[in-house]
Amino acid sequence: MMNPTDVLGVSPDASDEEIRAAYLRKVRECSPDRAPEQFERVRDAYEMLRDPRRRRRQRLFAADPISPLAVLFAGGTRPRRFVGPGPWLEVLKSK
Amino acid sequence: MLSPETEAGVRQLISRGEHRAALDRAKEIHKAVRTPASETLLVDTYVERIQALMGRGLMVEAKALVELVRQRHPSSRRRLDELARPAGAGPRSLNELLRPLADPALSTDERVTLERIVRRDVWDLSALAACEALPVTHALRTAAAALHRSFVAVTSGPVTDEELELPEVSRRSPLACWKLLVRAIAYFHRGDRESCERALDAIDAESAPARLVTALRSMLDDDTATPLQPGRSGAAGAPGLSASSPAAAALRTAVTRKPALVRELEALDRAFASRSRSGIVKLIRSVVEECRRESPGRLEALKQHISVRCAVANLDAARVVAAMGGPSRHDAAFNRLLARAFEETHDPEHLVIACSIWDEFRRAAAQEGWFAENSPESAVISLHIAGLLERIPEPALRELQQSARRGAALRGRNISFLFPDELYQRTCLLDPHPEAFSRWMAWAARQRGGQAARVAKAWHKIRHEDVEPILHLMDDAEARRAFGTAIGWLAKLDRIDSLRPDVQRRRFRLLAGAVIDRARRKKLAHAMKEIDRLAALPEAQQGDRPAVVAALRALVNAGWDDADATASCCADVDRLLQDRAAAAMLLSVVATAAKQRALGQLEGVEHLSSAERASLPRALARVGVLAGELRLSLKLPRPWLAEAARRFPASRASLGVDELRALAECGEQTGNVDLAYAATAEGLARGGASEAGFLYLRARTLAASPDRKAVCARAAAELAREQQDMELAERALAVARGPFGSELFPLTLDQAREVLREEKAATERPGGGTREPDYGHLLPQCQCPNCRRNRGEPVNPSDEFDFEDEDDFAIDLPPGMTPRMMNELLDAAAEAARRGESFDSFASRMLDDPPPGGRRRPRRRKKRR
Repeated sequence: MMNPTDVLGVSPDASDEEIRAAYLRKVRECSPDRAPEQFERVRDAYEMLRDPRRRRRQRLFAADPISPLAVLFAGGTRPRRFVGPGPWLEVLKSK
Repeated sequence: MLSPETEAGVRQLISRGEHRAALDRAKEIHKAVRTPASETLLVDTYVERIQALMGRGLMVEAKALVELVRQRHPSSRRRLDELARPAGAGPRSLNELLRPLADPALSTDERVTLERIVRRDVWDLSALAACEALPVTHALRTAAAALHRSFVAVTSGPVTDEELELPEVSRRSPLACWKLLVRAIAYFHRGDRESCERALDAIDAESAPARLVTALRSMLDDDTATPLQPGRSGAAGAPGLSASSPAAAALRTAVTRKPALVRELEALDRAFASRSRSGIVKLIRSVVEECRRESPGRLEALKQHISVRCAVANLDAARVVAAMGGPSRHDAAFNRLLARAFEETHDPEHLVIACSIWDEFRRAAAQEGWFAENSPESAVISLHIAGLLERIPEPALRELQQSARRGAALRGRNISFLFPDELYQRTCLLDPHPEAFSRWMAWAARQRGGQAARVAKAWHKIRHEDVEPILHLMDDAEARRAFGTAIGWLAKLDRIDSLRPDVQRRRFRLLAGAVIDRARRKKLAHAMKEIDRLAALPEAQQGDRPAVVAALRALVNAGWDDADATASCCADVDRLLQDRAAAAMLLSVVATAAKQRALGQLEGVEHLSSAERASLPRALARVGVLAGELRLSLKLPRPWLAEAARRFPASRASLGVDELRALAECGEQTGNVDLAYAATAEGLARGGASEAGFLYLRARTLAASPDRKAVCARAAAELAREQQDMELAERALAVARGPFGSELFPLTLDQAREVLREEKAATERPGGGTREPDYGHLLPQCQCPNCRRNRGEPVNPSDEFDFEDEDDFAIDLPPGMTPRMMNELLDAAAEAARRGESFDSFASRMLDDPPPGGRRRPRRRKKRR
């Protein structure tokens, strides 16, 4: 399971109000009929964070010694650089 | 003259895409005839060839061929100019191309043709926006200018949704696809894959922006680590454009090129995966260097991760430290990471290390201010360590605890992290939550010597309103026959939640048990008071329970030697059950439990009428259900049981599932295997949800066939699991393990169903020529030398020796005891132990005789000083 604070986009020390506000915002973004899988992830994350005991446990055991170092230290997706229009136009020109 | 057939031949070659062959043929024809028609055919063929070259991206070759044809065939210049114009798309050619669009008298056909060329070929938006041939306010120029601004914006930095609206570009504009491309690029940079793909899908495959679709898709695929897919262009991919064209590859590299640190980290990950020790150390050095340069703030965390991985991989610590340029900081974060790494390996030795490190973490975290020493967080860690200890095999943990005690005595170290009881206790004190108590009690229940009762008391002391510990304490008191204490707990439960089904179920059993116990101890006045209390319960009015109350009254009256009252109560039992045989059996069961042998004496079965004998199975079943509810043993004379078994076939169809179950239990409990087997056969034949239960009962009747018994029990457990009946599954697995707790063999649900089918077909009890189902294929193969030899497997002479040795240590059976009897005795002993029955009680029940030396005198209770 993804880190619930990442799913809701809140800091690990977020207050109850911040967590609830983030949850409501995420639910608006991915409603159950539009993105059911994403909604489930958001709901599970909220369920975990709203319970102080589960949140405490999640925070204590969040350390991940298994994931690849490249993922831990560079995020899951590749960086995307803004390189200006030049290289894009070269592809358009190259017919 | 150019014949139509000849011309058709060339055009056929063109239509098949054989441009080179068509061109050769057209040249031959034109050389031979030299007519305007042959020249037109040749120029047509050249145009097709040029377009094919351009389609393949061979622009230089196409341009050279255009020049050649222009020189050799001046009449073709106009056509070739049109062909060459978009390829250049410079301001001059654009001006020439688009000038007609400024003419209001331009025909619709010509306008459509020109717009098609713009949509398909114009890629330079800035040139289009500056096209002098069109007025400044022309829709095409304003749209191109807006698109150019947006295109520059989305490729240079983040943009807002408002910037992507582009109202200047209408849906019908030849530049409409550019709007989609601009949005796709913006979504790509935002990481919104779904929206990006939606925009790309909508781009017309014939439009100029479609040339970027394949490249963009390949960059999207980079996120899922798939290689560039040259052939894939999607619904709107530009035909003929290879995604791996130099320009596309350069774009991809420029946009998605990873930082050096990420590349180094990926290499280190690969080295850890391949366990190349020298490679790891070398890469650690470069990763640390790169991180120090690129992201110094994360260097310490990275070194900690690297140290942990190297520790788990058992790499030379000195070399790792040298490669990192110094050791990593051993703080709470490091301990937590190291503990997590060790607990992930599932190696018992590593689990012990993990427990020790978690303990270190608890202390370090408190020192570093993560949380207070006695905070709920500390409780969470203690509970976690206790959970890890439960994953270590019990003997290994005991040995470890003993050696740690010896070491700790010398070094004065706190080793409480090795003792689950202390950890649970600490957890429950710091954070008294039912979940923690429940886990503590589950652990205690698996230990020897009534530890669960101690935990239940501790639980109840802290959380008075929790039902679980009170239920446990009540059951524990009942098992010890401390009915007064048990009733006290019941009163507490009634105050908390008197409507709980598990409380209601226990209430009737407990009060009836208390009456029997008091009658046994001749405290008859107390017993009668309890009966009055029992009779007032709503639970006592259900089913045949009023007859139980009447039987208890008869018991007490018999104790008082009040013959009239006893007879009246016995008549009540008769009346309530409407069955003389059932009434007699119920009185017998109750009186035997209270050790009132006179009342419990059953007359000979031959004294029953033929109707009473015919209904004996049902009567036995009713009494069996009541005895089961009260947890009383069903001791009935053998002739009664034999008669019930004899009468069973005639009455089985009229019996309900509960009655069949009770009969199977009675038969099994009283050793009447015929009755038990026949009841399970009928129960299995009924089908439905009770099949798993009857298969479990069938297993219990098969003491003489241990293999078949184990398979039936294993199958019953699988079927019960499927029905979510975990209690039945547990009981069935206990039978499958046997008295010595053998290892369980695997059985799939399909195999369980196959066993069920076989057992349903086996309606006759084994023996007397009846064939038993053969489950040899489901059981693990016997490894004794004889069986291995029979299977044609090689037998090592030393194995044979080992097995012969084992025979020397086989248990000597007592004289007159057959192996089957021994098996049954062991099974019964195991079952009794599971029920919590004492050995004395089990022995007296089995032997049904007072121990040698006459009746034991009741022990005097020692006075407390």
